[in-house]
Amino acid sequence: MNDSKDNKRILVIEDDTPLRKVLHDKFILEGFHVLEAKDGEEGLATALSERPDLILLDIVMPQMDGITMMKELRQKNEWGKNVPIILLTNLSADDEKINRAIADNAPAYYLVKSSYTINDLVEKIKERLS
Amino acid sequence: MNKKTIISASDDIVFNLKVLAKEKENIRRKLAVTAKEKERATRAITNVLEDLKIKEESLIEINAKEEAILLSIGEGLLATDEKGNIILINKIGEELLGVKSKEIMGKIFFGVIPIEDEKGVSIPPQKHPISMVLETGNATAISTYYYVRKDKTRFPMAIAVAPIVLDFKIIGTIKVFRDITREKEIDKAKSEFVSLASHQLRTPLTSISWYTEMILKGDVGQVTSDQKKYLEEIYQGNQRMIELVNTLLDVSRIELGTFKIESRPTDIIKLAESVLNEQKVEIEKNNLIITENFSKNVPIFSTDPKLLRMVFQNLLSNAVAYTPINGKIEFAISFDGKETVRIKVSDTGYGIPKNQQNQIFTKLFRADNIRDKDVDGTGLGLYIVKSIVKNSGGEIWFESEENKGTTFYVSLPSAEMKEKKKKDTT
Repeated sequence: MNDSKDNKRILVIEDDTPLRKVLHDKFILEGFHVLEAKDGEEGLATALSERPDLILLDIVMPQMDGITMMKELRQKNEWGKNVPIILLTNLSADDEKINRAIADNAPAYYLVKSSYTINDLVEKIKERLS
Repeated sequence: MNKKTIISASDDIVFNLKVLAKEKENIRRKLAVTAKEKERATRAITNVLEDLKIKEESLIEINAKEEAILLSIGEGLLATDEKGNIILINKIGEELLGVKSKEIMGKIFFGVIPIEDEKGVSIPPQKHPISMVLETGNATAISTYYYVRKDKTRFPMAIAVAPIVLDFKIIGTIKVFRDITREKEIDKAKSEFVSLASHQLRTPLTSISWYTEMILKGDVGQVTSDQKKYLEEIYQGNQRMIELVNTLLDVSRIELGTFKIESRPTDIIKLAESVLNEQKVEIEKNNLIITENFSKNVPIFSTDPKLLRMVFQNLLSNAVAYTPINGKIEFAISFDGKETVRIKVSDTGYGIPKNQQNQIFTKLFRADNIRDKDVDGTGLGLYIVKSIVKNSGGEIWFESEENKGTTFYVSLPSAEMKEKKKKDTT
């Protein structure tokens, strides 16, 4: 609809197809350019080749999980070190491993999927991109 | 001597002899009677003695039986005198503790039964259940301690200690204990299952939530107002499932002990207001009158805001859910000027029946009087609140009368205070 939003590009890395699809549709409606990946391995490759403006990253995924992918990406190059990542998961926030990963891999954020409306999620993304 | 005289004399003799014979017969009879009596007496004494012997034997048997009953109890059993010296231990007790009766008899209990808490902090003698019972005279039961064997391995132990009272005096204690490793394992497995299942549930629930939200917003075309009504029901139903899953996750985290208390300086009043704001829709829908009594002197307070939020949410949403239309709710927070915050949430709602008030903090419990009202609830909220308050070193209590209302009170020490308390007691 609104393609003039500088065509900000979002990479959605999520193994659950219905969720990936609904995020894709919503972001298109909001005028973003959307890239998709089904697991950490595919996500890492797409991220490095496409260099999106922001990455939405699920944690529990086959092949390579989100935390591992984030760590690898941060070590790859200067761009990988700085791209904002929003961890989108259904694990709980008091998981120490996740908290540490977020602290160690800034700029990284954390959202519990089922506690967010898709609208709030879009707001959060816009906030990070502005 | 003439013949007549002789006859008369012999008659006398005969007469005398007859008298003598009669007397002899009398004596003989008397003797016979005496002998009989003596025999009877002897028999009586023998009988008494025999009876005594039987009584004594049965007493010995009863004693032995009682001791056997005591010692054969299928759980560990240990008794001490009023000074805490061990006077009895049964076989299972010996096995559980890995000690021999001979070695520990007469010894003071705390050297023999070292216990520690879940984190491995040893319980000092004065905090030991046996000491507590000797001091207070009240029976106690606890299942959160671990017994440490000589080889430093340990197992979780359920302990019940009661005073032994004779003539209104405590003459010792009796302790029943057992290994609850298996119960703990089952409990843990159950909690882990709930946790895993809940995480799995969240993914499809998120799908339903997001797709429905987009349809409702008209992102994929206009919906009619009838369709919208139905979709809203779907959305609300799904929200309830999400909340239920969140609650189950909280419970499993509490029970698994993975709830990390992260204290930081918190503006409690601001937190309270934000929770009130979340409930606004429900409050307005039922035309409830809310009174906020937040003391001005409540300082920025060191506590875990995530957990305190859950306490506020549960107490308030209960007050809102269980108060009929046009009711009143008071939400008060005050500070004692030192280190304790007092929270009060009162309502003019349905109340808790007197005979069920002792169960109100029990997991999954819901009072009878609200079961037939059309109010959703899981029976988990107050269980969670109580667990959080207890883990934070605070206290919770309430007053309630059916159809008049309920008031909950929470006193919460600051996180530093709780740490200090813990150090003082260990």
